[in-house]
Amino acid sequence: MLTPDTLKQTLETEFGPSGLTVDIPLPHRVYLDIPREHLRAAAARLIGLGARYMVGFGADNIERDGTLPLIHTFAFDRDGILAALRTSAPVDNPVFDSITPDIPNAGWTERECADLLGMTFKGHPKPKRLILADDWPEGIYPLRKEVPHNLVPPAAEDVAYQLDEAPPGTTVVPVGPFHASLHEPAHFAVYVDGETIKGCDYRGFMTHRGIEKLCQTQVSYNEVPFVAERICGICGSVHAAAYAQAVEEAAGLKISRRAEFIRTILLEIERLHSHLLWLGVAGHLIGFDTLFMQAWRIRERIMWLSERITGNRKTYGMIVIGGVRRDITPEIAKELRETLETVEKEVLEVKAAVLKDTSIHKRTKGVGFLTEEQTRRWSLIGPVARARGVDIDARRDHPYAAYDAVEFAVPVMDSGDVWGTVVVRILEVFESVKIIRQALDTMPNDGPLLTEFSEFLPPLRHGMSTVEAPRGESVHYVITGEENRPERWKVRAPTYANLQGVPDMLLNNQFADFPIILGSIDPCFSCTDRVVVIDMKKKSRTILDQGGLEKLARRPRSRRR
Amino acid sequence: MDIVYVFVNVAVFLLFAPLFQGVTRKITAKIQSRQGPPLLQPYFDLIKLLGKERMNSARNWAFSLAPLGAFAAVLTVAAMIPLGGKANFLTHRTDIISLIYMLVLGGVCVLLGALASRNTFALIGASREMATMIMIEPILAMTLILGAVKSGGLKLSSAMAPLGSAGYGIAAVLMLAVYLLALQAFVGRQPFDIAEAEVEILEGPFIEYSGAFYGLFKYAMMMKQMFYAFLFVSVFMPLPATGFGPADILIQLLGILVVFVLIAIIGATNPRFRIDQAVKFYAGLIAAALVAAVLAVKGF
Repeated sequence: MLTPDTLKQTLETEFGPSGLTVDIPLPHRVYLDIPREHLRAAAARLIGLGARYMVGFGADNIERDGTLPLIHTFAFDRDGILAALRTSAPVDNPVFDSITPDIPNAGWTERECADLLGMTFKGHPKPKRLILADDWPEGIYPLRKEVPHNLVPPAAEDVAYQLDEAPPGTTVVPVGPFHASLHEPAHFAVYVDGETIKGCDYRGFMTHRGIEKLCQTQVSYNEVPFVAERICGICGSVHAAAYAQAVEEAAGLKISRRAEFIRTILLEIERLHSHLLWLGVAGHLIGFDTLFMQAWRIRERIMWLSERITGNRKTYGMIVIGGVRRDITPEIAKELRETLETVEKEVLEVKAAVLKDTSIHKRTKGVGFLTEEQTRRWSLIGPVARARGVDIDARRDHPYAAYDAVEFAVPVMDSGDVWGTVVVRILEVFESVKIIRQALDTMPNDGPLLTEFSEFLPPLRHGMSTVEAPRGESVHYVITGEENRPERWKVRAPTYANLQGVPDMLLNNQFADFPIILGSIDPCFSCTDRVVVIDMKKKSRTILDQGGLEKLARRPRSRRR
Repeated sequence: MDIVYVFVNVAVFLLFAPLFQGVTRKITAKIQSRQGPPLLQPYFDLIKLLGKERMNSARNWAFSLAPLGAFAAVLTVAAMIPLGGKANFLTHRTDIISLIYMLVLGGVCVLLGALASRNTFALIGASREMATMIMIEPILAMTLILGAVKSGGLKLSSAMAPLGSAGYGIAAVLMLAVYLLALQAFVGRQPFDIAEAEVEILEGPFIEYSGAFYGLFKYAMMMKQMFYAFLFVSVFMPLPATGFGPADILIQLLGILVVFVLIAIIGATNPRFRIDQAVKFYAGLIAAALVAAVLAVKGF
């Protein structure tokens, strides 16, 4: 068992002479500062000590001391510690040793830092553009403070992403940017030999809109949660909660227990409808539309319930810094219990049907296989990791909100394939139901829903938080700023980590399994891209007004004619 | 008089194929707790598609010839079969070999269109379609051969006659089972809609098609499905014959309806197989079909 203090001791003995300093501001947070020459060695040592790589990011500190900081975050899941490894380089020579050769999941982080801040990583195996458009001019680094948030450089013609070279003897099948199995734009070039996948290159981030930049320059602390919620179309509360927790941690703000319980309930409601949504989509991807329709029919009740609680089916606007905005009244709690009852019963039926269906076994068992070792090496998370024998869950390992007060199991499978992710997700539905019931039973009435934080939040404080989203853990890191808004706000959605492991899952599988393998990570490209898409036009074009549409949707099927 | 029945056949197929499609869609919807489209939706779809621009996105003649060929081949098949148990002008002059040729021609036209459209997804679809054709045509052939053996002639009128009259036998029961298992593959529905697989290869061979050309393909597919349902009814379902043409056709259409209900139910309750899994499955069916044919020859 590793404690922050033993971790400090170990690292100080080994890296103290190299200039490492350790700060433990909170019981479960460790901040390490190291000169950049020793970054790679220190990162590798953290992994050696049992850490899992989460994400890294850069920032702009040019005005203060002429440096570009680089921060890598790690999680010690067994020991409940989150660690940040911080370093920096002068802006005129922003060169770091790449840690990607040791930690493959850092590959995107480093490419992102190169794109957005102009850092260079020595020894990176694939130093290609990741985020910036292919026609974005060289030398403009959008996350630097000198670049305005609304800069639109002129578009260039005939610039295209250069795909990786196809392995010999293979042909390229383009999946995307628009393809029926992708629900958002992303481009996979799949190299196939016959129907067997021999490799794949990914070009995504096509809808990157720079939410981080926007929130660092335009809006205030208290407005960010509403933007954060729009990062993802499914796990809105996850991002709002993760951001709020990170700021609360940086500010040392303690919120009421009741607010924490309500956050927990909201997060679990999201998990319920997300998992049912996924189950349906997975059915569709293997050509089983009946599962699709039935799963979504069950899910619909949860959406109605969400609307009762928050006023919205999605994007609840409930979680803010300091707590939540609405209470769960006894009447709503009663409805919630009733809905849970129905949903649980119906999902039990679906579970029996799915787990016994041999055709589903045929399409999912052994498909997208990764060993536990590969999964750990790629730092994969969420159901994707749990299906491969990696027993991690941020709710249990790094408890937040009220998860320390409820009991639940973390389903883990060791089949290592898509089948495992199906089982894990179905079982998690029942755990979510259990958590919500316990939360309703034990929710205290101890204080204000919203704890105001009025005093000035000093700049350059760091806070990080993880929230277990339905598709894996979301990581938020906040560095407080001077103008009532974060100086740097980093969001790592779960797909960012899991998508990097997909090429290994695809290798030597059949092309027909591409959709379900990609689908098995429950990809959310827009979270990864960090986008807001608000289609105002569509609304005004709809012939039915909102009320009419709602009525139509709500009327029982038999009377809809 | 025989010649009139040729046109009756064609008319019945053109008229009823979309209806059965509509039934399938409605039943699928019911299983999925959906409202589903109106029963006549396939007619509306076809009318809309056929009225649209004929766009040749591949800019070559094969691309526009393929849907016409597929449509014509299926119509020819419809024309030559003994619908309502009544052998018509063409039934007397053709045999099971020509029938199989026409069916294969329809499949080849799909391949032709896919290859002509020069699209990666179409090519994958074509290779899957080809694998499927190679594996399921033998089952069709065995079914017809079984009928031929039982009745002692390659003539369509006898090969497609109900088996019931010649005694059911072990061979016929085995073949019935094989045919039922292959039915979804014959009609290209789940779990064997592999060549089109929307989420994988975006309707495969038809990806580049639109408008009237696509409409023709759709129509041809609907009639092909109806043919395979008809073949099952004709060979394996001992239906009462009244001797009155229209009544016999109606009875057979009811039989076909039952088969389509079955197709819809299987289709809605199964995920799609992968082509490698399907090929293994077909191989087993071919072996069983061969056994059935041999048994029939031996007189079982």
